Amino acid sequence: MKTAPLAGIRALELAEIWAGPFCGVLLGDMGAEVIKVEALQRIARGPIRPAPNTPGYPDYDPGERPWNRQSNFNAVNRNKFGITLDLTSEQGVDAFKRLVNISDVVFTNFAFGVMDRLGIGQEALHAIKPDLIALFTPGYGNTGPYKRHRSMGMAIDAMTGHSALRGYPDLDLSHNSLVHHPDAVGGVTAAFAICAALHYRARTGKGQFIDLSQAESFMPHLGEIFLENQMSGKRRERRGNAHPHMSPHGCYRCDGDDAWVSIAVRSRREWERFCDVIGLPQLTKDPRFASLDDRIANRDALDAIISGWTSRRERHDITAQLQAAGIPAAPVLDCGADTYDDPHLQARQYFQIVTHADAGAYPMSGPVWRFLSQADDDARTPNRHEPAPMLGEHNHQLLGDLLGYTPDTLKSLEDANIIGTTPLEGADMGGVRRFAREQATQNQ
Amino acid sequence: MPYLALNGVRVIDATTGIAGPYCGKMLADYGAEVIKLELPTKPDTSRSVGAFPYDIPHPEKSALFLHLNAGKKGITLDPSTDDGKRMFIELARQSDIILESFRPGQMAEWGIGYDALRQHRSDLVMTSITPFGQSGPHKDYQFTELTIFAAGGGMRREGLPEREPLRYGAEIAQYFSGTTAAAATMIATFGVVMSGEGEWIDISMQECMAGHPHQIGRRAPWIYGSEPDLRKPPRLAAAGMREPYAVGTFRCKDGFVSFLPLGSRMWPQLARMIDRPELIDDPRYQSSDDRTDRRTELEAIFQQWFDDHTREQVFAAGQREGLPCAPIMDTDEALANEHFRSRDYFVELAHPDAGSLTYTGMPFRLSDIAADPNTPAPRLGQHNPEIYGSLLNITAPELARLRAKGVV
Repeated sequence: MKTAPLAGIRALELAEIWAGPFCGVLLGDMGAEVIKVEALQRIARGPIRPAPNTPGYPDYDPGERPWNRQSNFNAVNRNKFGITLDLTSEQGVDAFKRLVNISDVVFTNFAFGVMDRLGIGQEALHAIKPDLIALFTPGYGNTGPYKRHRSMGMAIDAMTGHSALRGYPDLDLSHNSLVHHPDAVGGVTAAFAICAALHYRARTGKGQFIDLSQAESFMPHLGEIFLENQMSGKRRERRGNAHPHMSPHGCYRCDGDDAWVSIAVRSRREWERFCDVIGLPQLTKDPRFASLDDRIANRDALDAIISGWTSRRERHDITAQLQAAGIPAAPVLDCGADTYDDPHLQARQYFQIVTHADAGAYPMSGPVWRFLSQADDDARTPNRHEPAPMLGEHNHQLLGDLLGYTPDTLKSLEDANIIGTTPLEGADMGGVRRFAREQATQNQ
Repeated sequence: MPYLALNGVRVIDATTGIAGPYCGKMLADYGAEVIKLELPTKPDTSRSVGAFPYDIPHPEKSALFLHLNAGKKGITLDPSTDDGKRMFIELARQSDIILESFRPGQMAEWGIGYDALRQHRSDLVMTSITPFGQSGPHKDYQFTELTIFAAGGGMRREGLPEREPLRYGAEIAQYFSGTTAAAATMIATFGVVMSGEGEWIDISMQECMAGHPHQIGRRAPWIYGSEPDLRKPPRLAAAGMREPYAVGTFRCKDGFVSFLPLGSRMWPQLARMIDRPELIDDPRYQSSDDRTDRRTELEAIFQQWFDDHTREQVFAAGQREGLPCAPIMDTDEALANEHFRSRDYFVELAHPDAGSLTYTGMPFRLSDIAADPNTPAPRLGQHNPEIYGSLLNITAPELARLRAKGVV
């Protein structure tokens, strides 16, 4: 087996929630040494003292150290090392700068200006290591009137035009869910950007500052709609599950509890085969459904007929029958048991059981890609899938091994809460300083 | 304005549709020489998908094709012919990356599978982008955006509980898979610089969506409690563990705004945003439980304020208080937005057939690398003489002979 492509690359992650941490996952999956830097003073690992019997913890039990058992954190932080550093302290920043000096990459999704305030802005980082690759990704980028705006995936979804395209066409947008998908796009784009910059550095010796606006990385995913709008002078109508050039096209109720199948018929030939499969070949001669235009005009009547057929059948069986006739169909899966039990994903060994010291064993999805030449059979990848780090888990190992800190030094850093494994009071409430400020205001 | 980060990297983009071409586009955006290869008799399907100017179909004027292929060169080649196979292998020998989206096994049947190609170039990176990957019982399944979104695990929780599950708006799953493919391709290409060895990458769109950070985050409640993540009323779905009265999408004076305050600690900011600071200390709304119990009356108080304010006013007031919120805009409004304009994000490109249009810009910016003006999408076979002449030393008469035989 070959070495993983990013073996030997060290990346420091200062990132919370989804976008930044997912970038770290992708780099870690491919062999980079990703060091997640957190702080006892501010954690993004859920509440310090959640109520007992809370969803999102193994067996609904937050346990003694809930911050190590929070499932969302553990899901999006595999294959990383974890240390804590109080970056508002001199010694904390000093340790961070020493790490920068021996790293290849620093990436962050902190709000604009935070890195500068901590004394580790772009210029400071490049002063330490000129060939460093530094990626800063506030929601709207590092320049412009919105650079300081608070953003999350759902805000980018709204600002870029995607929210307006989602939803049931007969209901207004207040019925829409919030969608954070741009976080994922930003995370994957960040991994691409970092590797493009690594490639450039390998050939030229030059470092890089990467300004990644989540909004700008997501808008190309709507690129044809920007052009369509200019070509037609009209805004695209919301479509729900309907398609302007396909019918049948939608989601149909099946036998079972909240069971659905998605079906898309792309052509006349597929329409004829579809009618054969559902045992109603006479539909092709029905004047309501003769041409595509007819089938679109009489979509509701057609969908009702199809639902009559699907509602008595199981969603996977329907999928197999239609696919055998070459017609696109898929069961509507949830992201839990449905995908885990999917026979195709199982055959490809997409999930693996990972054991975490504080959270137990759980199935984790595989890397989102497979590097086949490194495989020992045709569905495997060279992943190690280490569990997400516990808070401060690798403080001693990394600060000792990489920076040569002695046990005495580590002890004094622990005493000063610069490193440690237990979050401080208020760390889950936007940080201890904000917490103290808010407490003080309330007590006045 | 492609950045010249990948200057000197040559890519054969033999993909069709959306995911593969978007992967190629990202490489072109950062300076790779991307040669789009289309079958002479079966050009990229996106050429026949709208929208078109005046709704008149034209293979050089499709919005989707123009967007996905800007910055690429275009050639035609039929690799199922002997000449075509020989030419494909020679192109691969002179390239760093091959992107393909044929059905699994098609390239091998033509004699140009990864194993065959790497005989000619051991450091070749090939990325295969298909709905279900190269192996497994569903590898030959057909797909559209709707069905792959359904199979990826993102759909069953989208929409209202009493109605059918909903897909996202645009072609989100395919674009996301293309972006993922680009990241994988870039990682492997960097790996070549380090190790000198090539790679064959298998991208399954279903796996891209199933491994999406939100999916893996939301899988957790099932893993730990067997609770499926199903459709809920939108405010409850968006709120999760938060207080639900000011979470989700709200109608305001001139449209809609989306809100996601980060929990009980943002209550004072919310009250200040709607000019009701006295509510902060109102005994009725003291604790998080009080506010959750009285969420209907609180929601009405917020709605009243939203009704009197425009999207811009709500956005400004929310941002002043540090609340994550944003106006819902259409793409034409994003195109005119002061922030994106101030960053010179959008790019105007003139195409000989489709005319001048404003395109979305680069996904990220590099500080220390020069950028070149972008070029519009190629016409079918536009660069045949240039590419075949310079890379394969094929003369004009020889090219004419290949054209007559249907190879190009």
